This record gives sequence, structure tokens and C-alpha cells, in this order.
Amino acid sequence: MLSHLRKVLAASALSLAVATAAHAADKHKVAFVPQLIGIPYFNAMEAGGNRAAKDLGVDFIYSGPVDTNPVDQLQIVQNLIDQGVEAISVSVLDASSIAPVVESAKAKGIKLFTSDSDAPDSGRAVYVAQATDEGLGTTIIDELVKRVGEDATIGIVSGEATASNLNAWIGFMQKEATAKYPKLKLLAPQFAGGTAERAAQISGDLMAANPDIKAIIAVASSTCPGVAQAIETAGKIGSVIGAGYCSPNTARSYLKSGAFSFTVLWDPEQLGYLTVWAGKQLIDGKSLEAENKISGLEKPATYDAAKGILLLGPPAVFTKDNVDKFNF
Amino acid sequence: MNTVRRSGNGIFSMNGREWSLLVACLLAITIFSVASPHYATSGNAVTVLRNSVELLLIGLGMTLLLAMGGIDVSIGIVMGLAAIAIGRILGADGSPFLAIVAGPMAGAVLGCVTAAVVVLGRVPAIVGTLGLLGVYRTAVFVLLGGQWLSGLPSSLTDLLSTTVLGIPVAAFAIAVAYLAVWLALRRTPYGLHLLAIGNSEEKARLSGIPVVKIRFATFVISGVLTGIAATFYVATYRNVEMTIGSTLALDAIAAVILGGTSILGGRCSLIGTVLGVLLLRILQNGLLLIGIPSLWQPVVTGVLILGVLGFEAVSNRLPLARFQRARA
Repeated sequence: MLSHLRKVLAASALSLAVATAAHAADKHKVAFVPQLIGIPYFNAMEAGGNRAAKDLGVDFIYSGPVDTNPVDQLQIVQNLIDQGVEAISVSVLDASSIAPVVESAKAKGIKLFTSDSDAPDSGRAVYVAQATDEGLGTTIIDELVKRVGEDATIGIVSGEATASNLNAWIGFMQKEATAKYPKLKLLAPQFAGGTAERAAQISGDLMAANPDIKAIIAVASSTCPGVAQAIETAGKIGSVIGAGYCSPNTARSYLKSGAFSFTVLWDPEQLGYLTVWAGKQLIDGKSLEAENKISGLEKPATYDAAKGILLLGPPAVFTKDNVDKFNF
Repeated sequence: MNTVRRSGNGIFSMNGREWSLLVACLLAITIFSVASPHYATSGNAVTVLRNSVELLLIGLGMTLLLAMGGIDVSIGIVMGLAAIAIGRILGADGSPFLAIVAGPMAGAVLGCVTAAVVVLGRVPAIVGTLGLLGVYRTAVFVLLGGQWLSGLPSSLTDLLSTTVLGIPVAAFAIAVAYLAVWLALRRTPYGLHLLAIGNSEEKARLSGIPVVKIRFATFVISGVLTGIAATFYVATYRNVEMTIGSTLALDAIAAVILGGTSILGGRCSLIGTVLGVLLLRILQNGLLLIGIPSLWQPVVTGVLILGVLGFEAVSNRLPLARFQRARA
């Protein structure tokens, strides 16, 4: 019943958005469906998308679920398809269930592609990647080993167990640890869902269960405050370090308090820009080059035709020294 | 026939359900202590109790609501809204004392709104609060404006993490809240009226019980308790995230039902609610400590509720129970 209510709300919000967009006639429409609306990360992507829409002369539609519910997300995508939006990008919550929606988009001649979180076997047109999963997974492990050494126990707190991007990063963390640091002990990942409260509970429990733990990785951006707060509450600043994939705004106070040592991410504003640019390319039927210089972006985006991945660039590491240069 | 039943006759006299819950808690603690060397530590006990604070307060209000045949599925988001009020005050470097007052005040106001919809508007509680859930959730998005309140000043935390006469402030607040509600239930007509309404609102009205007044007051009490919970939430996590409180309503309802309060009204148990909350939190914490992934925790909660209610349904059909009911 709850999820039905959400669907109704989401659907009505969506038709409003589309109705507004329809006023500006004749412009091509590019949509982006995030995993969750209202968090700073996706807000930054929305801002980048808007900037690109202005530069490229397209209409940008941004609509997504109010919590990380894959069914609600599919419903929103389906609605966009029914409305005839020409290019739709999705930050996929559940890779296993999106294939039928991709089929239905293809049948209508709509370009459906993924951005931020992929569904590789779904038949999507392209995946606009923030960084490679491999780059992110290995960067966080390498940076951690620099700080706590190779002989350490490290915990992992993720968000939803169905989020394919988070699971891919965890996979590469484990791969990197096995390949390069045989003494490093990575604990099995824990899943906290979307709330800071659960992430804090789980982090506290991880520290209790593993007194020798040296670091905790917050995989989902929504788990960063919980992990940091648990380290602060347990009085373990200095003996346990937090790290994760969270935005400078979210991590700023924890980086400064010492609960977090660093975070690894990219600029979602740039990713949002690249997403809308890619949507425009697909609508225009232009092919992607191996290296694409885009005037609105800092670095050229590389394209891997075999895997169908358009890559924003290498990940960035934020510490207390550079965090104030960013605002997202 | 006397169908108005209060649990026990004093604080220390417990009924069958309460004893079973206590045994279940002790059994779980024993199993976890044997299975994990890190379980039976004072630090972990503090963690479990700390994680129970909000749910104990919200569960107390939910006990009263269910006892009178009501319910509030929006209560977690009500806590979120109260937390935003507190967070805004702290974020503007306001007095932590003002923040402490703001939580219950915001809770009382929202309790009045809920009561106005459900009691004055004569909407069934499940429907009315479901509608409010949607409204409140959107209000959280709008009020937070897409930015989490994170890294709030620690003034409130410092104030609420102290002890009074050697007892943590949180424990003190919970004890006072439970004692006050217990006295109201046992020593004033409120208790009898509440349970009478829970048994049959129509009969209660015909007996001259001020049904509207009692029901209105109960929603406001629940709101105030939720506002106090919000104060402790913000003090602990110094963070108000977009998904705040999204699992709390169902957790509270689960704990209260486990505790022996009837979902159909007319029966309530405060000790049962305390034990129900503790059992949920003990299981969540212990399962992780013995190495069961956090993914499975909701399954355990669900199975527990089905088990307890199923057991009750079956045992009610046994000849002995029928005989006892016939005599009563």
C-alpha cells in the first residue's frame, strides 16, 4: 500500500514535470532518473544536466523515486517511455529487472541508456560512467593501505544490497586486496539500506565484533554520516579511520574532525553534463569517438566501444586539505 | 463480562507474553555470548541500549495508539520533521536548551495535525496517517532543500551525553516518560477510558467517555514522545538525512505487537513494549556480531512476529484457553 502511494505521488509529479517541459515545443527531450531524489549527489547531477541542456539546446527532465525502491524507479522510467521522451538515462537500482523496460523503449524508438549505475546485460544504448568501477575500488584500497598499512582489518558498510554500482566497487576492492595486499583482511560487506541510523548501528557493531579493526569503508554516500558518527561516538577517532565514496559536503565536517581520513569520488555535476550530452548524441544519431572533447567538461571523455562505456575520467581523492574547494 | 484488561497489577508483575519475551531476550543474549567473544562486553551493552532510545520513546506512544484501536504509520517521518526543527536551531548556532524544547514542541504540533485529520476529520487512523506520511515525506524534502543537515555543532550532544546522579540523561528521560504514562494509565481515568475506546469506541461513547478528547490527547502525547526521540536522534548523529526515520514506524509497531499490545485495541503492556524493543535491537546487534549479514535482519524480525502471533492464535484455540475464557 505504501509503495503504491509512492507510485501515485511519483507519477503525478512526473506528469507535472513533463507537462511543464512540453511548453518548450520542438526541443529534444533528455531525461535522467536517479536512484533517489533529494540527496546532494543527485542534485549536483541535476545541476550539471541543466547546464548541458542550456548549452546544447535540449529539454532536461529530472525525476526519480523518493526512496531507493527499484519498483518505483522502473515505474517512473516506464512513464517517461509512455510520454515519448526521446532519450532516457537511468542510474539503475536493480540491474536484473530493467531489461523488459529497455525492450519497451526500443520498440518505441526511444534511446534508453544508463548513467552512474549500470545494467550491463540489459541491452542499454551506452553506459555513462563516472569512473571505472575498477578505478574506484582499487583507489580506495590503495589509499587506505597508505594510511593503515597492509596488516589491517577493514570493514565495509554499503547501502542497498541490490545497487549494482556499489556491489561492483566492493568486488574490485576485494580483488585489489587479494592481488596486491595478501595480509589485508577485508570483512564481508554489510548492508545498511538508506538511513544514517542503521549505518551507525552496523558500524558500531562491526567495531565491537572486530576490536582490531583499523578502518571502515562507507560504500553508499548515504552511509557516510552513520559510519563517521559511529567512529566519533565510540571515541575511536585516530584508532579507526573512516573512508568512503561520499561528497565533499557530506564528509566535510567528518574530514575535519578526523573521523574520516579521505573520500573518493568524482564531480557529479560533470557527470550530469556528460549524461545529457550523451543523450543528445544518441538522439542525433552521432557516433561516439574514442576520445570526446566536450566544451562544457574539464577533461575529455573516453569511449570504450567494446563495452559501450563512456567514461568521465579518473576518480578524485578528497581530504581535509582540498575539501573546501568543492561544493556538492 | 470484563474485557478491559490491563497488564499485571504492578510494575513487577508480568503476564505470560512478557515473561516469554524476557526469556527470549536472555536466551538470545546467552546464545550470542557463546557464539561471539565480543558480544558480552559493557561497550556492546551500551551500544544496544543506545540504539534503543528512539524506538523506546516512539514505541511508548505507539503502545497507547494501538491500545485505543489507533495507529500512526507516519510517526518515523514526524520524528524527521522534529529533527529538522532541532537541526535548524543548532545549525544557526542556537541555544541547545532551545533545541531541547523545540523537539517536543514540534512533535506536539504535528500530533495536533494528525489528531485533527484522524479524530476531528473522522478518517480511519491507518488511512489518515498514510496520507500524512506522503505529505510529511515531501515536507522533509522541501524543508531540507536537497541538502542534508550534517556536521551539526556538538552543543546538544554535550548536553545530552552527560549523566544525572550517575544515570545517562537518555535513560532518565525514558524512565520518566514510562513512569508518567504508567501513572496516567493506572492512577487516572485516562487508562480505563483508553482501553474502553480500544475495545469498542461506540460503547465507550454511549457510556459517556469523552472519546474525542481522549483520542486527540493520545495522538498529541505520541507526537511529544516522538519529538523527544528526535532530540536524542540529532544529539547522537548530529545529522538529519533525507531518509530519516523511514523504518521507525514499522519497527515501533513490530516491537509493540511483540510486547503483547493488541493491534485491534483494548489491551496494552508497557513492559511488553520495552522488552519488544530490546529484543529487536538485541537481535539486530547480535546477528551481526556472530557474522550473519545485516541483509537478513528484517527477515528475522518478520519471522519473529509471525511466530509469536501464530503461536498465540494456535494456543488460543487449545481446549485449556477456551475453558479459561469461558470461566472469565
